[in-house]
Amino acid sequence: MNKRTFLGLAAASVVLAATFLIAGQAPPKVGLPVLTTSAGQSTDVTTLNIVLDEAGITYDYCDVPTPEMVADGAGLGGRESGPGFHVESTTDSSKYPAGTPYKAVIFAIGASLKGMGASGLTLDSEEARLKKVIDFCKQKKIFVMAVHIGGESKRGPAGSDNERMIDAVAPYADYLVVTKDSNKDGRFTKLSQSKKIPLTEIEYALGLVDIVKQIFQ
Amino acid sequence: MNLKRLVPLSGTLLLAVLLAGHLSTAAGPSAGDEIIAGEGCTSILVGKLASTDGSVMTTHTCDCGTCDWTWRHVPAADHKPGSTRKIYHISQYKTWPPAEGLKWDLYKKDATGLEIPEVAHTYAYHHGMFGYMNEKQVSIGESTIGCQRKMQNPTPAAKLDLSMLTLLGIERAATAREAIQVMGALAEKYGYGFHDDGEMLAVADANEAWIFEICPVGPLWTPDGGKPGAVWAAQRVPDDHVSVCPNESRIGEIDLTKTDFFMASSNVVSLAVEMGYYDPKSGKPFSFKRAYSPVEGSATSTNGRMQRLWRFFDLAAPSQKFKPETPNMDLPFSVKPDKKISVGDVMAMTRDRSYGTPFDPVQGIRGGPFKNPNYYRGTRVIDHGLAEYSTVTQSRAGLPDPIGGIVWIAFGSQDTSCYMPLYAGMTEIPKSFMVGDHWTFSRDSVRWAFDYTDFHVQVAYSEAIKDVQAAQAKYEAELIQRIPEIDAQALALYKKKPAKAAEFLTGFSLNNAATVTAAWWKLGDDLLVKYNRLYLYNAEKRGFSRGQPATPDWWKKAVRAFDILLEPDKK
Repeated sequence: MNKRTFLGLAAASVVLAATFLIAGQAPPKVGLPVLTTSAGQSTDVTTLNIVLDEAGITYDYCDVPTPEMVADGAGLGGRESGPGFHVESTTDSSKYPAGTPYKAVIFAIGASLKGMGASGLTLDSEEARLKKVIDFCKQKKIFVMAVHIGGESKRGPAGSDNERMIDAVAPYADYLVVTKDSNKDGRFTKLSQSKKIPLTEIEYALGLVDIVKQIFQ
Repeated sequence: MNLKRLVPLSGTLLLAVLLAGHLSTAAGPSAGDEIIAGEGCTSILVGKLASTDGSVMTTHTCDCGTCDWTWRHVPAADHKPGSTRKIYHISQYKTWPPAEGLKWDLYKKDATGLEIPEVAHTYAYHHGMFGYMNEKQVSIGESTIGCQRKMQNPTPAAKLDLSMLTLLGIERAATAREAIQVMGALAEKYGYGFHDDGEMLAVADANEAWIFEICPVGPLWTPDGGKPGAVWAAQRVPDDHVSVCPNESRIGEIDLTKTDFFMASSNVVSLAVEMGYYDPKSGKPFSFKRAYSPVEGSATSTNGRMQRLWRFFDLAAPSQKFKPETPNMDLPFSVKPDKKISVGDVMAMTRDRSYGTPFDPVQGIRGGPFKNPNYYRGTRVIDHGLAEYSTVTQSRAGLPDPIGGIVWIAFGSQDTSCYMPLYAGMTEIPKSFMVGDHWTFSRDSVRWAFDYTDFHVQVAYSEAIKDVQAAQAKYEAELIQRIPEIDAQALALYKKKPAKAAEFLTGFSLNNAATVTAAWWKLGDDLLVKYNRLYLYNAEKRGFSRGQPATPDWWKKAVRAFDILLEPDKK
């Protein structure tokens, strides 16, 4: 790590610490393997995956997992990418052999009409899929983490595409991480308080690096 | 089924399978680091010694299909010391229903919260999806090139996306070099990305044409991290050369000691090393495109999906016999054309459909009996029928800037549209250019006039396109011939009083746009009557008998061949 990166991470850590103090909650500890995905084909899942890369945490990624795929555990049952379906795995199979049950699923929230179109999804079908996946996670006690790091552009008026994706995931999460830009109207703070979901607010996506380290390492 | 029919039918089925694969170009979001060559805009550049009249030219086929097509004129402005410029996130793709207002007012809802120091004076310019031409003849064209996945930065930390960057560049720059420096420096300071990733801009003035390419630096960038928030390079097209960007990065090796030909951000090599996209120990020279936006394939290997680069060079310099099998990354940055190129030639290039090449969209039965190139979209031609509008900019030394600069605009698909000039010195643009969208038909919107004609061409394309070409000859080609006369009149006025020249050029351009728009509404009407129900009506003769557009023999044979193939077995 060079000096600038170190300083950047140090600054992010200070911000992170401050947000924990404000929230009064420390990030929970959860083990691996972890699956990353999006709610609404958000491009922010790419950012999420890069955050995990930066933190040195291995993961499986699938853009549209079903409960069956989650049930197949690490390696996603050997599924491969195809039209409208994308998977990627960096999970260390020596530590977590194929089929090891996931301990956590991280959802990057945000609707991308372009992305959903490419995957043949509609908002209704995406909501239905997300409900099934979250229900499965609850049933199997898989930790659900929701991140909203797209800022205001991934928000909107009540009932809008982005808000529907938030409604589909955030209230059922075990832990929320959002950027300040995403939470300007306090929506996630209110949700956190009403549903008693731990919330961490970060300044930039970089702030998520230390958080995932604390959760998954 | 007998064997004689099984063989050709199997062949047909095989062909259908191959075609299905060939036609399926939707790639979806990629999880890997493969760069998918975009299906978007094409941008052509022509150096001043490569053009017939000394013009420096750029083009932009704004290929989207669902984007906003409206334009506006932004006047020059003086700003008090201490003023700030608000920065907005402007999506190339976001639209609003016309009832809610105009995009170029409504995008201000998406303020980033950042305000940067304003300059003392901002130049007037014509503005569509990007800033296209300012009063100093600085012009811009665009093509998305993509970048390595890990470089994308959709986070709000990146305050500048491409549209905003072009507005800042064209507001603040009197030369192409200045525009590049302005855009590059601001992107480095405030972060680039958000709505956009790897992008190319054709940036020109009356003397030079440059290709400017810019990429984000990843989502973990923060403004206080001490690193540039963008990586970019720019390469000048030699004055006697032409170049093109068809959604593929064009800048390879860079030599920053040649300051008249190269510019780049300070991190241009170090970022590639840091991110693992370039190894200085490899012994190979650093290449911008290979590091940040590598695209594998050739025109041939992609079945024509990536044929625009080869096609353009083959059009411009057929004597050099470029091969479609050559990997696109190995094709040159620019080429000296076999003959000097006129503005009319450039317009024709924007209309190119690769007819007569291995990627001809109407070869065989692909275009149906009336050779319609829109039936088969498996190959990606320059005129793909997707354009919101296309621009051809001319920046001409030897004339005062308000007269020397012209943006020619053709709304809708280039083949059925008509280029109309907007001089740089105009102080307003036609009202019909400022309104309309894809989802609500409007007689008030210029775009719908051209779509109206385009729609009626599709019925019997090979016949109806001749009617359109006749109109283009009258309203476009003849006007090109008249431009020197318009220039001369404007110049005479300019010498007396520049404001009079601006008034004249505004009046001329508005009148011409109104004339052409009316002509295209009428052309659409005429085509509807002439080819109504796929007959041929002669409106002048009003005769009882009516013909049909001629169905070619090869089509009749193809129909017979299919009949035989699908005939039930004879016992």
